[in-house]
This record gives sequence, structure tokens and C-alpha cells, in this order.
Amino acid sequence: MTPGAHASSTERLQIEAEADVVVVRRRARELAIAQGFDAFAVAAITTAASELSRNVWCHGGGGHALLETVSDAGRVGLRLRFIDEGPGIADLELALRGGCSTGRSLGLGLSGSRRLVDAFHIETSPGEGTTIEVLKWARFPH
Amino acid sequence: MSSIPILRIRGHLLVPVQPDLSDEVVNRLQNDVLEAIAGERDRSGGLLLDISGLQIVDTYVARVLADTASMAALMGRRTVLCGMRPEIAATLVQMGYLLEGVCTALDVDDGLDLLGLPR
Amino acid sequence: MLPDTTPVTPDAHTLALRLRFFRIDPGVLARLAALRPFAERTMSDIIDRFYEHLLSQPETRDYLDDPALVERLKRKQAAYFLGMFRGEIDLAYVQGRMKVGAVHAKLAVATQWYVGACTHYLQLIHEHLHRERASDEERRASFEAIERIMHFDVSLAIDAYIARHHESRLRHQEAIRELSTPVIRVHDRVLLLPLVGTIDSARAQRVMESVLVRIGEEHARVLLLDIAGVTVVDTQVADYLLKTTSAVRLLGAKTILTGISPQVARTVVELGVDLTSLYTRNTLSDGLDLALSLLDKQIRTIDQERV
Ligand SMILES: Nc1ncnc2c1ncn2[C@@H]1O[C@H](COP(=O)(O)OP(=O)(O)OP(=O)(O)O)[C@@H](O)[C@H]1O
Ligand SMILES: [Mg+2]
Repeated sequence: MTPGAHASSTERLQIEAEADVVVVRRRARELAIAQGFDAFAVAAITTAASELSRNVWCHGGGGHALLETVSDAGRVGLRLRFIDEGPGIADLELALRGGCSTGRSLGLGLSGSRRLVDAFHIETSPGEGTTIEVLKWARFPH
Repeated sequence: MSSIPILRIRGHLLVPVQPDLSDEVVNRLQNDVLEAIAGERDRSGGLLLDISGLQIVDTYVARVLADTASMAALMGRRTVLCGMRPEIAATLVQMGYLLEGVCTALDVDDGLDLLGLPR
Repeated sequence: MLPDTTPVTPDAHTLALRLRFFRIDPGVLARLAALRPFAERTMSDIIDRFYEHLLSQPETRDYLDDPALVERLKRKQAAYFLGMFRGEIDLAYVQGRMKVGAVHAKLAVATQWYVGACTHYLQLIHEHLHRERASDEERRASFEAIERIMHFDVSLAIDAYIARHHESRLRHQEAIRELSTPVIRVHDRVLLLPLVGTIDSARAQRVMESVLVRIGEEHARVLLLDIAGVTVVDTQVADYLLKTTSAVRLLGAKTILTGISPQVARTVVELGVDLTSLYTRNTLSDGLDLALSLLDKQIRTIDQERV
């Protein structure tokens, strides 16, 4: 949990199929817009939501996402958690460094998402699954 | 499911990419575009992918777009990616996804200028 | 306490800590609940006299020039007053109290008037308690309970003040940042961004964003990125410049980096940063020439004799 941030009620979305990835990112986008995120912050959190939920689906064997809005001293933000009980990430350092994928792609999803958000927290252990939490604050508009 | 519209304009193919694509639709887009290229009698024009309607381009979509451009190039078509939104450009660059081999234009007009008249 | 931390709306845990610090325990809460009949009985007199006091002071009178407003505030005040005697303090209570503070902060009621008014309020309650038939011991305990919860409320109001102050400071910082990155249209479809001063990652990000937005709005094909005024160009700054040019390229425009002094040229090469994929020019005017030639235009001196 992010210390100090006050959270609203939490929404839970299943990630069982590829189509669920679209549902999660669409909802993340709606929440970000409702929280007053500017276009750049909306794109950043939506993209991170897309990457991380796709990872849950294709590497983690499915799982779920928790979405909640947070506030703290006049700021508002969005906290997203991606949870699966898949194989876990064996070499976390490597996976976070970027440019490395167990699949055919560029492997920028995880490292890229990390750069798109204000706080990034990951817990993973082999055979037990992976939980990734990201937090992004709305900035004041341009 | 709706089919992907592919238009012909001044001898070029123009694909207006629809907002919020699922992975499945993105894949179909690639397929349909390549099929359309193969089916064209006049092979001299280019391919314009108009992404001004896309609100989000994650690494999956970016990869398919880049791959489609490379594949079209192999089939003798120059491809121009038109109308990427500022926030998408910023997001992709932050993630380290630079789409280096892909030709870009501000909008379809500029893309057409870039491609010129079909040879 | 750290001086630079901003207050946070408490969660259940920090609320419990705060209550303990104010020594508001179940006993105190029960006492407050037992005082509710007293509160209901004395409320209207206390509130009337409270507003009389506020209206008699020039500093507070200015906020209360409308009699209808005063009536409305009195009704709100009654709810606020009774709130202290609910015998329960939960997160909703805390939020309500912070909101009251936020409203006063928004109206720019200085904290001295806010806290001063609370002191007066307490005074009025004290007077009424004194008239109650009870033992001295009872009266003292009752007054202490009220004092604690009022101080607790004031602490929340002050937090709301600080939060608001913090927020306005953030806004100012944004505004200053914005001012420090002007994007100038120098020619049809050519924009100039003169970068000045030091560049950190937050500023680099902001600059990139505003440049991208402007390119879209102005339909620019070329961006002149002049770095003559940048204090230090290290790998970090070079990285920002490369990112910006990459994003500009994704939009479909070209970047020309100008104002590259001998020192910058030296550091860039020594640091091993590869800028060869970019258009670069020593001076802004050379950059402008290049920009125009990219648009198939040029500047010529008009032949004197033919004019
Ligand atoms: N939830 C997960 N469970 C197990 N492994 C994961 C999970 N998320 C990521 N990984 C591992 O970390 C690697 C890096 O993830 P990342 O998202 O960066 O790349 P990718 O998904 O392979 O490619 P892409 O660039 O398309 O996202 C993956 O290849 C995978 O091995
Ligand atoms: Mg991935």
C-alpha cells in the first residue's frame, strides 16, 4: 500500500481472456479522466494498465486487476494492482531492465510501464505468482 | 464483427485505424491490409495508416503497426504512419519504443505529400 | 514532525493515533455523548452570541456582510456543534471537519481568526457549563472533554489549511515551469523552442509535452530546438533531447538542434552520446536556413538593381 494515500472503494476486474485486457484499460482510462488527469497522464496510466494486464493474461495465466482512486493532501490519483497466481518472474532484475522477453517481442512492457507511473511496486515469487502495484497522480493541467 | 475499412486515395491505400482495438482486431487489421495490398492491380502506390483516432498505443499495437509497415515494404509498398497524437508519442518514447524504421507524418495530407504521386 | 510533510487525510490507523495523542478515549467520547442534552439546550444561545462576537470584530465582520448568509451559517454551525456530542469519531467525521477547514482556507480566513474564533466558542461553552448544576469535578471533566475534541477539530482544520497551501504552491510551480518554456512560431510550420537554464527530468518531460501539443496545434513540420542557453549538457540532458526528437519524429515532424557551442560539441563527443541521427547546426540562423530548405523554401537577398 502506498503510505498516506486515502483510497476510495476498490473495483475488481477479472483478467481471463485477451478481451479483458481491453476492459481493464478502458476502465482505467475512464477513471483517470474522471480524476482530472491531463491527456498525457491519461495515456501513461492507460498504457501501463494495458501492458500489465496483458502480462497477467499471457505470462501469469490470468488473474485480476484492482482499480481505485486515491487522494492525498489535495492531490488525486489512481492506484492499480495486477494480481496473478502464475509462474512468477524468475529473473526480476532482468525483466525490469527492459529489452528482454521470454516471448517474441521487445520486452518493454514491464520496464516501460514503470517509467510511466509515479510509484511502481512488484512482488513475485517462483510458482506463487506476481502482484504489481502502480500509482499515478493527476497533475495540474497545462 | 465489423470489417476494417480500407480506402483508395490518389493511387494509395488508406487505412483509418479505429479507436481502442483489441489484440484480435489489431491482428485482423494486419491481415486485411496485407491481403488488400496483394489484391491491388496497381502496385505503385503507398500505404497510409491513419492512427489519429487511436487513443492508446501500447507495445502490442505499436509492434503490429511497425510489423505491418515492414511487411508492406517487403511487398513493395512504402508505409507512412499518420496522425499520432502527442500523448501517444510521449508515452511510447518514455517506454523506449521509438518505432525507428517507420516513416511518420502529421496527418493524411502530409502523408500523401510524402508519398507523392504514384510512380 | 518533519517540517515539509503535507498533511494527509487520516486513515483508520492514523486516526486512532491522533485520537490517542489528544487523549480522546472511549470515556471522553461517552462523556461527550452524555453532554448532548446540555448541548441541545444551550446551542442557540451559544451560536447567537458567537456570531454577535464575529460581527463585532472588523476582521471577521467583512466575511459576514449578508444577513441571509449569517442565518445559513448559523444553521450549519448548529450541526457542527452537535457533531461534537455524537460520542463517535470516525473517518466521515474527520473528513467533515477537514472540509470545514478547507472552506475557511478557500475564503482566505486567516488561521488566527479561525483559531481565535474557536477559543471564543470554547469560552461561551465554558460559561454555560458553569451554570449547570453539577459538582466541580464533573464540570471540570466535561469541560476537558469538550476542550479536547475542539482542539482535535482545530488540528484537522489546520491540516486542511496546509493542504490547500501546498496545493497552491504546486500550482505556482506549474505556472512558473510553463512560463519558462515558450514555444515560438518563427515561420509557417516552423516552431522554435529556446531552452534556457538547467533541465531536470520533470522539466524535460513538461517541455516535451508542450512542444508536442504545439506541433499538433500549429501543424508544424520543423522544430528548432535551440540549446545555446542551456547551462549544462550532460548525458542526462542529451538523453532528454534525444527523447524529445524521437517523440517529435513520431508525430511526423523534424527537429533541428541548434546553438551547439564548442564546449557542448566537445562534451557530447567525449560522453559518447550519439547525435548523428539528428539535424544539428551551430547557430540558430543556420538552423532556420536548414528548416526552410526542408520545407523547400529559402531566404534570398533581393537583387538591389531590380527593385
Ligand atoms: N505477470 C507475470 N507473470 C510471469 N512472468 C511475467 C509477468 N509479467 C512479466 N513477466 C516476465 O517478464 C518479461 C518481461 O515482461 P515485459 O512485459 O517487459 O515483456 P513482454 O511481455 O515479454 O513483451 P512486451 O514488450 O510485448 O510487453 C516477460 O517476457 C515475462 O517473462
Ligand atoms: Mg508484456
